[in-house]
Formats: sequence, structure tokens, C-alpha cells
Amino acid sequence: MSNDQSTTNYRWVGKRTPRPDGVDKVTGRARYGDDMSVPGMLHCKILRSPHAHARIVSIDLSKAKALKGVKAVLTCAEIPDHPLSEPPYAPIINDMHDISRNVMAREKVLYDGHAVAAVAATSERIARAALKLIDVEYEVLPHVLDPLEAAQPGAPILNEDQFTFGDETEPKVPSNLFRSITGKRGDLEAGFAEADLIIEREFISEPVHQGYIEPLACIATTSEDGCVELWTTTQGHFVIRALCAKLLNMELAKIRVTASEIGGGFGGKNTIYGEPVAIRLSQMTGRPVRMVMTRTEVFRASGPTVGSRSKIKMGAKKDGTITAAEVDTWYQAGAFKGAPVGRAVETYFSSYKIANVRATCYDVCVNRPKVAAYRAPGAPMAAFAAEGAINELADRLGIDPIDFRLKNAVGEGDESLMGSKYGQIGLVEVLEKVKSHPHYAAPLGPNQGRGFALGYWMHGGGLSSVSAHLLDDGTVTVATGNPDIGGSRSSMRVMAAEELGIDIELIKPIVADTGSMGYSHLTAGSRTTFATGWAVVNAVREIIDKLRALAAKKWGISVDDVIWESGQAVPKKAGQDRIKPLSLKELAGMATKMGGAIAGHSEINAGGVGAAFSAQLVDVEVDPETGFVTPTRYTVVQDVGRAISPDYVEGQMQGGAVQGIGWALNEAYIYDAEGRLQNTGFLDYRMPVASDVPMIDTVLVEVPNPNHPYGVRGVGEPCLVPAPAAVANAVENAIGRTMSWLPLSPPKILQAIEELKLAAE
Amino acid sequence: MTAETRSTVRLLLGWTPVDIAVADSNQTVLQYLRDQPQLKGSKEGCAEGDCGACTVVVGALKDGAIRYSAVNACILFLPAMDGKQILSVEQVADTELHPVQQALVELHGSQCGYCTPGIVNSLLCLNLNGGAADRQAIDDALIGNLCRCTGYGPIIEAAEKACSTELSAAWKTRIAAAQKQLLSWAADDQALALETRNGPYLAPKTPDQLAAALDAHPAATLVAGATDVGLWVTKLGRSLNPLISVAEVADLQSMRLTDSHLEIGAAVTYSEAHQALSEISESLGELVRRIGSRQVRNSGTIGGNIANGSPIGDMPPALIAMGASLVLRSRAGRREIPLQDFFIEYGKQDLRPGEFVGRVLVPRKLDTFRCYKVSKRFDQDITAVLGAFNIAIENGAVVSARIAYGGMAGVPARAVGCEAALTGKPWNMKTIETAKVALDADFKPMTDMRASAAYRTLAARNLLERFYLETQNPAVALELASRNHMKGLVDG
Repeated sequence: MSNDQSTTNYRWVGKRTPRPDGVDKVTGRARYGDDMSVPGMLHCKILRSPHAHARIVSIDLSKAKALKGVKAVLTCAEIPDHPLSEPPYAPIINDMHDISRNVMAREKVLYDGHAVAAVAATSERIARAALKLIDVEYEVLPHVLDPLEAAQPGAPILNEDQFTFGDETEPKVPSNLFRSITGKRGDLEAGFAEADLIIEREFISEPVHQGYIEPLACIATTSEDGCVELWTTTQGHFVIRALCAKLLNMELAKIRVTASEIGGGFGGKNTIYGEPVAIRLSQMTGRPVRMVMTRTEVFRASGPTVGSRSKIKMGAKKDGTITAAEVDTWYQAGAFKGAPVGRAVETYFSSYKIANVRATCYDVCVNRPKVAAYRAPGAPMAAFAAEGAINELADRLGIDPIDFRLKNAVGEGDESLMGSKYGQIGLVEVLEKVKSHPHYAAPLGPNQGRGFALGYWMHGGGLSSVSAHLLDDGTVTVATGNPDIGGSRSSMRVMAAEELGIDIELIKPIVADTGSMGYSHLTAGSRTTFATGWAVVNAVREIIDKLRALAAKKWGISVDDVIWESGQAVPKKAGQDRIKPLSLKELAGMATKMGGAIAGHSEINAGGVGAAFSAQLVDVEVDPETGFVTPTRYTVVQDVGRAISPDYVEGQMQGGAVQGIGWALNEAYIYDAEGRLQNTGFLDYRMPVASDVPMIDTVLVEVPNPNHPYGVRGVGEPCLVPAPAAVANAVENAIGRTMSWLPLSPPKILQAIEELKLAAE
Repeated sequence: MTAETRSTVRLLLGWTPVDIAVADSNQTVLQYLRDQPQLKGSKEGCAEGDCGACTVVVGALKDGAIRYSAVNACILFLPAMDGKQILSVEQVADTELHPVQQALVELHGSQCGYCTPGIVNSLLCLNLNGGAADRQAIDDALIGNLCRCTGYGPIIEAAEKACSTELSAAWKTRIAAAQKQLLSWAADDQALALETRNGPYLAPKTPDQLAAALDAHPAATLVAGATDVGLWVTKLGRSLNPLISVAEVADLQSMRLTDSHLEIGAAVTYSEAHQALSEISESLGELVRRIGSRQVRNSGTIGGNIANGSPIGDMPPALIAMGASLVLRSRAGRREIPLQDFFIEYGKQDLRPGEFVGRVLVPRKLDTFRCYKVSKRFDQDITAVLGAFNIAIENGAVVSARIAYGGMAGVPARAVGCEAALTGKPWNMKTIETAKVALDADFKPMTDMRASAAYRTLAARNLLERFYLETQNPAVALELASRNHMKGLVDG
């Protein structure tokens, strides 16, 4: 019952257990966002802007409203407006002023795909036909896509009420630059003066989409009493409830949100898009309204991650000591403020002990969809710049890249630039594991290169609620408020079984709706197994306490004399051998007759997060004639704290690495000169397929997080952080020059090879 | 049309015969499955035949026996399923899971699970067709299924474990019954003629019926596998009215071997022609293997790839370099033209009113031939540049050269200047350098999201050089084709 993590003598934790969700998924039974239908349901379609930036002069709905089968049409007039939020600003800004406008454009459209109007009709076909009958008059305005250009004076301004925050000159003119965040320590000038080698580089990364295969989908049902039921695919139904209630000026208790099974999210399903529109249309018509985005809409109108431009300078001594580092990074927030700039600063150089350092990241609005989180939001692009520069430093100093990092590695007691203090961490263990891995010394063939990069991520904690119920027959339900996106039902079940000392098959993990549970934050930030898992441990410990009390009552002894051991209540004192232990099942059978049903619950705000490090080795082969890159070998070594369900942990690491391959080599948003997105489908937004990637080898390093009952660290996100940098480094190594602009598509590589040839001539 | 027509679609949904009065000829198989029998297991991830979440297994008669293929339900029109069997994910398990499902559960081949039904069906199909010989066969079966969670490793392991499992007796019995049902339907030889709110859908069974249907409906859209036409509906929102399918015309479904040619009917799918084309040229076979995905190749036809006139269709440049010709048919008769003359300019082909592509005649004897496809992603991607080379060399000199490129102009076209620069010259690097310069003058490629003009120009030149190098050193031949084999070579 203690938090002693030195034991590894677990029955379930760390074992390969059957999936609780396996059968439903292979038989097609699992119900996702669009797999529900409600009698009388209407179908919603959304009209979207064809322009990157335009003033809305007028919208004529009359013809659409007149079409047979159309039950309601709405514009921003039906979505409440809210004032701009005031400082201080939270790290993640949910400004209702912006959300209202992103859900439905108000004064202007700010990106290709921006929602302008919506229709509810008796069929999808009629709804689509009605969209064509809506006349919108636009006054097209100049647009800007690049964050550095957008931050300059004279750039087209997206939000005329936005003035740069924190600018001491109190600017009188609006700016696309919302704010910058800086982390610093030491004396940069002195640090660079100490250096034997200083490098300066620029890095660019393009926005990429989370690429979840399930498009956004929901159904809203409104009752005459004003209550709303919402079924939606989301990473956090409590957050959806909060955002919808706030936006629509409703009471929280009147919106009940049920999370469907979720077909991937990776951060992309953390916020609202069509949900409030479906709710409003349902309120206007008194009928259920289904809203499902097409893949094109998902690309055009839901948040991808930020694109970035970074200018970095680093200096080191001949012995490999990094003496100074500074970086400026511009992040594309999309149409509204809120790029993950704090996370960028947190990411910069956080694996390294550097005395003199500054990182500044700028949150800049551009005419693109508002960005959303994507698996370690803000980190992979910062790691691309930092690790790229560090690899170049090591290379030019002739130092092995792992030794270089070992020399500068942070340890317990060190701090990140944003002030995260490291406890017991596994960075050195991870690096040493890479060095001793056979991959590190394996020979390379012609046109092949090997890359390495290191990633840091501090996972989330926060609010989680759990309700566990012991049933009469000795089975247990464990309900959480977190959608299961990466295997949380399995890890909840494993931890509950471990605590209770019963077979995992007796435990049914459930994702409960917002009406049944206390507030539970998103399944995001690699927090769920950590924070919600902790609440599970608390909740089942409450059950155990009640069972001990029940046994004590039965035996007529003090509860203090009853201990819980291997799934049964056992008298503690010697000499009580005549008392036969009572199993959980026996106690469950007598509970309702001896006082009532037994349940345990926990509502926590989990602190005690633990930094995680992921190191990745990748080999690629470059085709010199076409510039085509094939990853041939990939190894991920990561400190996972403790793997509750190792199969799922490995699955996270493999999936993260493959997303990184796509990010590094192929994926990008491509716009034409008018600012219209060109690749709005999987045919032209190329994610990796099975033949594009090698089998991803995983090595789990387990340095437990001392703050958690089972030593858990977040695992879902750290594995993506270094991946683009590692792949890029492998390409650099294969062709023999630095590469600084993702994605490293064949044209860029072929051009680089040609330039090398010309330089050699 | 003859009087022998039928106005409802009949098919086996799983193992049960159903008769469907189709309301909308443009309705897709996926829309039908999800909306009517409310089978929600098949998912829509993209509606353009790319993600494979909608993959179903279709059983159809071929030479009197039922043959199974995995297809994308999202872009296939429901009437095309007439006389066939659809297995969606709901019909895969009976009292217990199919071994493929079991392995996916045990080996964690699904995470979020949204792509899983499609993956189950792709692997089921591999199992029904005799299993997987090697990793390449598994990759081929999976390339049309996007998974964003797993990184594919556990899915491949599940495939390795389960795809070669012997079919159970229950499955064999059910398949035999399904075959019997399809045979009994095929016996009455009725052509499908639907009247729907979107206009007629006709599926003639003979070339004469097809010619007559085209004559009666000159504005009709001809459809074969719908791997492109389907997207006009699902992606572009068009309504296709009337629709005439060439896929059921028996004569167009056949392939014939003559002494000089392989004759491919316009309704023959890539999958059906793959083996025969591979026997003509291994390089051509590899090109076919890389077209679309398994699902796309199981539906899409070589005739359709030519007839739709795309500048980036994969087959035309290769076939032009080979010297293929086309048989065009209509009520007025038939004519034969060289394939290269079919493509007049972007969006315009030499196809007269009432005419349709009947057969493609592919020469069996080639000189030294190779074709190379360049795309952002190796498999299942749209071509940026495709180069095909067919060159005769005697005594160290080029006797004749047929070179064609795709993606370099508004139509697939021969590189006339490049050919001239090679012909009669010694087959050496110096000649290649001259020919590269000539090649630059042959094309003015465009810049689009798939590649820049500069990249296309450079890649086109490099492909010529690669072809030369491969002829010099057979050891590097088919390097592109063997890319996937490298994965087996890394040590653990």
C-alpha cells in the first residue's frame, strides 16, 4: 500500500496483458463519432471561406432557407460574442473572443476554410445543396502566411484589436505578434567569448496535421427544458463541456457530453469546432443535429501544428562544453493567438546544462487555420533547431554525438528555462543505452547515413476523477473521465488489479460521461496514465479500506488489525489463524447486506510530474538520382518511468517515431499564391504507409518517477520530440551537408545534392 | 438494351442475398452499408480511396469461381456490386474471431482502432487468397491502409502470424455456398438497368449493348473501377447522370495473348493484368505494383487509366514507350490507333462521340526496357515524374529509342529530341549527357504541389542517366524495385 517503487514484484504492472478494447475494435463494434444515429436527426454542413483573408460584406441566407428540407441556417449572429480576455494569460489561452470567431467568422474570414455559415437539413445532400445557395459578398484583403513576415510592421493585420502584449512602448497600432516568451540565464556575451566554436543556423519547419484517421464528428440533441446532450469524438469531454457552456452562455450542468470512441487525436481533438454549431442548430430546430467534417474540412479548418522559423546561435569549447546558446523562434499561431510558445522555450536546451542561455519564442498570427496541439505541442520544431545545432557542434568539434550530450547532460536538481526542476531523471541511462545498442555501431552502406537526436518533455498532471464500484459478484467497474486514446483503459485496469490483488479480467474499465464524474482534464499532455491512474489507485484503495472495515466487522476485530493481501482481507495479528481470510469476492457478496454497496472515488489535482527523455537513432538511405529518402532502421530509447502496460508503451514509441518520419520527410501544408490550401486530402498530404517505415525498435529504460505510486512518467509525447531532428540528421549524414528546412522532400534533397556536385566541380 | 434487364441490385451482403432498389446511382458502397443496413464498422476516413478505413472484401466470379479482393467502399458505386458478395468487418467473425482479428488483438495491431476494420479486411483478403509469402506481400496488402497510431510494426507482426492460417471448415462451407449463389445469378445473364433519382445506371454485358447505350446516352459518364470517377462525386460533389459501367462487359474483361501482343480488355483491372505485364517486363510489373494501393488496383483498370487522359496516369508513358496501341470501338465499328496519338492535349483525347476504349494492345517483345516512377512517397502516391525507356542497342550503338515521360507536360508524351540525340550514337555517358540537354528542350513541365518544374526537369534527366547506368551494370538493375527488401537486411 506504500509508494515504494523499488519492488518490481508485480502481478500485473509491467506485464503483457490482454487488451480490454481489442475485440470491439477488430469486429467494428466500437462506436466512433459518426457511428451513432438518433431518430429525427438533421444533418449539418458548414459553408467555408474560399479566401485566405477577406472582409465579410454581406451574407444572404434567403435562398438557402427556402430550400425544401432545410430546417435552419445560421451565421455568427447565432453564436454569442465575447470580449477579449485580459492578462495575465495562461500558458494555453482559451479566449472566447477568438473561439467565437473561429467557430463562425464574424467581421472577417481569416483563412481558407474558415466557417462562415451552417445549414441543418433533413439529408446531407440537401444540406450541401443549401450551402451553394448562400450568397456571401467578400472584400478580399492581402494575406500573410509566414510568421516572420507577419510579425513585421506593415504586414496585413489579421485581428485589428490585437496589440502586442508585454511591449513596454505600449503600441498604438495593432500587430500580428501577440506576445513573446523568453527564458534566460547567465551572460551570453561572456559565454560566447569562452567558446572555441560558434555556429549560427536558421531552421524552418512547415505546419503538419495530426492526421487522425477519424474526422471530427458530433451529434447534439436539445430538450425543451434547455438541456443539451452532446456525443462527440474528443480527447476531453469535460473540456468540450466547459468551452461550449462558456461560449454559448449556458450552465455547465445543462450540457452532458459523452465521448465516443476516439479515432486518433494526437492533440487535435482538444478543442471545439462544430460542436457549438450543432448545439445551436439543435436549439433552433428542436431536433438532433449531426455534424461530420469531411477530410477536406479537417485539413482546411481544424488546427494543424505550428510551422516555425528559428535563428539559433551556439558556442562550445574544444572539450565539448557548451558555453552559450541563444535562439529566436517564430511560431505560426494561425488566425488567432495561442501558439505553444511557452513549450518552445521549455524545450530549448532543456537536456543540457548551459550556463549562458536565452530562448525567445514569438506567437504570431497568420492567415492559416488556428493551430491546435499536436503530440508534444511546440517541442519537435524547437528540438529540430536545437538538436540540429548541437549535432553540428559535435560534428565540427569531432566529438561523438552521445559523448557530447553526456558531457553537457542535465541531472537531478537542474532546471529548464521555464523553471521546471528535475527530480530523479533517466537522461544519462538513456544516452548510455543508446551508446551500447548494436544499432549505434552497425555498419552503413553507400548512400546511407545515421542520425541521432534527443528529446525532452515534461508531461502534464492536473485534474482527474475516478469512480470505482465493487459489484456483488466480485467484479469491479473503474470509471474515468478520460477518453481512451492510447490504452488508458488497459493501464487503469492494470493498476486497479494490482492494488486489489485480483485478476484483471474481473475489472471493467469505463469512460464515463460528464454527468457521471467529477471534472477530468484532457487525455493529452501524456497525463492520463500518470494523473488519472493515480486517481484510480486512490479510488481502489478506498474500496480496500471499506473491505477491511467490512471484514473487521464480520470478525469483530478492529479495522487496524485487518490487512489487505493478495486480494483478500487477512487478520494481522499472530494467533488468529482460526480466522479464515475473506476474499474480495466473498466480501462483495456480503456488502449490500452489511451496510451498503462499496465504491471508491477520487478527485485529484496531480502534481509531481517527472521529466522524460527520448533518444532516437535512425538510418536512412538517400537515392542520389531522385533525392528520395528511405528510413532503413530506427531505434527509440526512452525513459518511461515505469511501463504499466509495456505493449502500449512500445506502441506509443513506435507510433511517435513514425509520425516523426512523416513530419521530417513528407508532410506539409502547401498553399497557393492566393493563400488557398492545396493538399486537402490524404492523396496529397502524404502520411507514411507500411512500406515507408522500418520496424521501430524500442528500448524501455525504467527510472521511476519518485512522485507517483507506480513511478509513471508520460510516454506518448516524448517519443515524437526528437524524431524529425533525428531523421534530418540522418539525411545530413548520408549526403554530407546540413539540412535545415523540413520536410526533407525529394526536391529539396536533390537540389542539395546538385549544389554539392557543383561546389565540388 | 435487350429486354433482359433487371432494375434492382442483387448481392450477397455477407452470406445473405439482398435485393436493393437503388435510389441514387451515385450512392457509394460505404454510404449504403452505413446508412441502410446500418453497418457502421466500415469507416469513412477520406472518401477518396486513400486511407482504406472503408476497405471491404468483395467476392466476384472469375472463370466460374469466386475470387476475393479488397476494395475501397468509399468510392465504389453500389450498383457495381450487382451479382457480387460484400464482406464488411461485421461478417468476419462468427462465434469466434477470425485468426486475423485474433492476432491483431493479441499483438496490439490496433490502438485507436478506427483504421482497424479496414485492416482486418485487407488481411482477411490476403488470407482468403492463400496467405502471405513474405514481407513484400504483407506490405502490398497494407499499403492502402493508413494507420496513424501504431507505426505499422504490430500490424505487420499480426499479418505474419495469421495471414497464412488454413481456412476453417466453416469458412470453406460458406464460401462454397456463396459461390453457388453467385453462379446461379450469373446464369440468367440479365444486364443491370437502373432508373434512379440521379438518372439511369446501365451495366451492359456485351460490346454491342455498350455501344448502343452510349449512342442512346451520349452525355453519359463511362465508369470502370471508379477509382477516379468515384472522387468526382465524393470529393468534387458532382452528380454523374447517366452512368454507364463498362466493367460488366464480358469481352472487355478478358485478356488474350497473340504471338506479338498481350491484348488487355478495357475492364481488366491492374491486379488482373499484373502477372501478364510482369512477364513482358519485370520493370513494368513493378510499376503496376506501385500504382495506387491493392484496393485501387483491384478496382481500377488499365483501360480507365488511359481513357481518362490524365497527364500523370502511370500506364500511358510506359505503354507509349513500349509502342502499345488502342482499339477504339463504337456503333460505327472499330479502329486501331497508336496509344501516343490518343493524347491530343491536356483534357482532350482522340475519342469520337459514341466511342469507347475497347482493348489495349501491348507488344510482347521489347528492346532494353525500364520504367521509373518518382513520387513523394514510394508506394501509393501520385506520380511527379515517370520515365519509360525502350532502347535497342547493337554493337554498342543505339539503333532505336522510344522514350516517354509522364508528369512533364499536359499529356504523357515521347521525348522526341532526346530520342533523336540518342539514335545512331554510341551508348555511352557522353551520348547521355547530350541527350539530357536535348531532353530539356522536349518538355516545359509545370510547378505544382507535387513537384517544381526544376525538380521534374532534373529528375527526368537523372532517370535517363539511371537507365544508362543500369544497362551498364545489371547488378544495380531494379534498385528501386528492391527497395523494400533492404528492411530484411538490418540486423537486430
